[in-house]
Amino acid sequence: MDSKRAALCMAWAGMLLAGPAVAGTIKGKVTMPHARTLADIVVYVDKAPGSFSPPKQHPVMNQKNVTFVPHVLPVVAGSTVDFLNSDQVLHNVFTPDKCAKKFNLGTWPKGEVRSVTFDTPGCSPVLLCNVHPEMEGYIVVLQNPYFAVTDKAGLYSIPNVPEGKYTLKVWNKKALELTHDVTVPREGDVVSDIALP
Amino acid sequence: MKPSFWRGRALAAVVLGVVPLASLLVGVARAVPVFSRKYHTSCSTCHYAFPQLNAFGKAFQANGFRYPEGDADLRKDEPVSLGSESYKKVWPNAIWPSDVPGFAPLAVRAQGSIEAPFHQPDSVAKTNFVFPEHVQVFYAGTLGEKFSFFGEVEIEEADGSTDVGFPFRLQWNQIPGFNATAGSLHFDPSPGDFGLIPTEYNVSTLESRNGWTAGGEQPGLGVWGAGNGAGGKGGWKYNAGIVTSQGLSDAGRDKDYFARASYKFGGLGEIGGTQGQASTTSAFYQDNNATIGGYVYSGHVAGETFAEREELTTWAGTADLWYHRAILNAVVLGMTSKIEGAPERTSRAWYAQGQYVIYPWLIGLARFESTDEDTKDGVNAETTLIPAVAGMVRANIKMTLEYRRPVSDYSLRKTDVEHLLLRFDFAM
Repeated sequence: MDSKRAALCMAWAGMLLAGPAVAGTIKGKVTMPHARTLADIVVYVDKAPGSFSPPKQHPVMNQKNVTFVPHVLPVVAGSTVDFLNSDQVLHNVFTPDKCAKKFNLGTWPKGEVRSVTFDTPGCSPVLLCNVHPEMEGYIVVLQNPYFAVTDKAGLYSIPNVPEGKYTLKVWNKKALELTHDVTVPREGDVVSDIALP
Repeated sequence: MKPSFWRGRALAAVVLGVVPLASLLVGVARAVPVFSRKYHTSCSTCHYAFPQLNAFGKAFQANGFRYPEGDADLRKDEPVSLGSESYKKVWPNAIWPSDVPGFAPLAVRAQGSIEAPFHQPDSVAKTNFVFPEHVQVFYAGTLGEKFSFFGEVEIEEADGSTDVGFPFRLQWNQIPGFNATAGSLHFDPSPGDFGLIPTEYNVSTLESRNGWTAGGEQPGLGVWGAGNGAGGKGGWKYNAGIVTSQGLSDAGRDKDYFARASYKFGGLGEIGGTQGQASTTSAFYQDNNATIGGYVYSGHVAGETFAEREELTTWAGTADLWYHRAILNAVVLGMTSKIEGAPERTSRAWYAQGQYVIYPWLIGLARFESTDEDTKDGVNAETTLIPAVAGMVRANIKMTLEYRRPVSDYSLRKTDVEHLLLRFDFAM
């Protein structure tokens, strides 16, 4: 499952749990001058009203072809992420970030899974493999399920956002920040293009 | 200067093909960014600290420079097909298909040193800048599913002369348990034979009376293989071959034989894989295991004249223990030399070495070595202590600082042996 599909599934799951009545879609394009890629930027609604339970089905961070797939995985706080090794080589997952308690999961063979629960909204721990230093991935822990990950063209789409006024934020690994105010209509889409510096 | 080197005078001579024997005699030092490019992976995937291999690097080598259990999905280059797969159905009425790397499989490694020999007379420099000291251009990779190759052009500056070598080998990788090689064969008895520090192992440099050493490479044919042990851990490894003899003249009349075998208890399987390898801790430099091995070499070494031809038998026993951040290894090597009309000479060399990973980028090392060229001459063995640190400044830049101090006969040997040496080493 690619990062965009994973994000959409998460958003849908969150919606079902939160049970909003009327919803629209926030979509748009993120631009960033001189960027090599516009993929893997998380666009999310900041502080949506209500409480949101994590999905019952664990999001999966795969290790395949010596790469974290997806590169960036946004999750609702409280989600348990399954780390799957799909390669014929040993992999490790650890993070040096305190907000994720600096976990180190050791190594495990192909087809096996080790899991971690991410509780802290705002935490975006980097994932590293101490067997393959070139590997890097991110978990982005968010307060609500209204988020999306951009594709290579910078396009994103956050479906099923309840009607209302929100602040839209972005997360990217260069730590560039920007906020956008958006108003989601009762029905239909709202376009919010975001230009990162 | 490595004694096995061809004592060349100029690179031009090599270009003209005047010195093909150079390829027989070059020492070994390997760190191959070719594979970093091929797999888009870091040096530490295969190296403890280059050129010393970690457990996965050894398994990669044992699989004919391939990831264990197939690596088609892991290659980041697109190999150039030299015939579609379907041509296998046509054989023998067509050439069996193969492929070549999708990029030039080249890499470069360079070294320079600052040496401070102690106890030099006033007329001699107290500090020597040896820039450049050593340059290697590697070519390595796979040719289709069953063949692989490894070669290098090596240029070394030493004592005012330039030494050149260009060893290579072609490997047929049938299965991990059985492979065949033609080319420059390497048979160093030390377990971690790609040493971390500039001073080579004494068991590799101990010379027979006609100049043979175990640390060189000789042209020949060989077989080698490896397999995992029970539960996918550890396992066995062997290497045997027939090589053209070497020596003081280029007679090369004789063929020599060598064999080496080892068994690894615990740790990553010798040919890799993930079965049985789950653990709660990991690091690229860790592989808890104990390995023991044996080695024998038998042959003749040419002298200045045929009458001075040396009959040589060498044996070695090895032990290698990896535990968390530490590595302890030891090798003892014995050599018996017979020359017609001269008394038989027996030699013995051994070393014991400890390494410790202080940080993943900083390794402390201490080696104690003892060399007795003639065990019957009543002269005590020469013993030397070498403490050192190796620092990985970056994944592909290494700095090594070693101090070498004679322990036995200090006053007699200090001028030749005692030194402080800083070496920088990078590969790309």
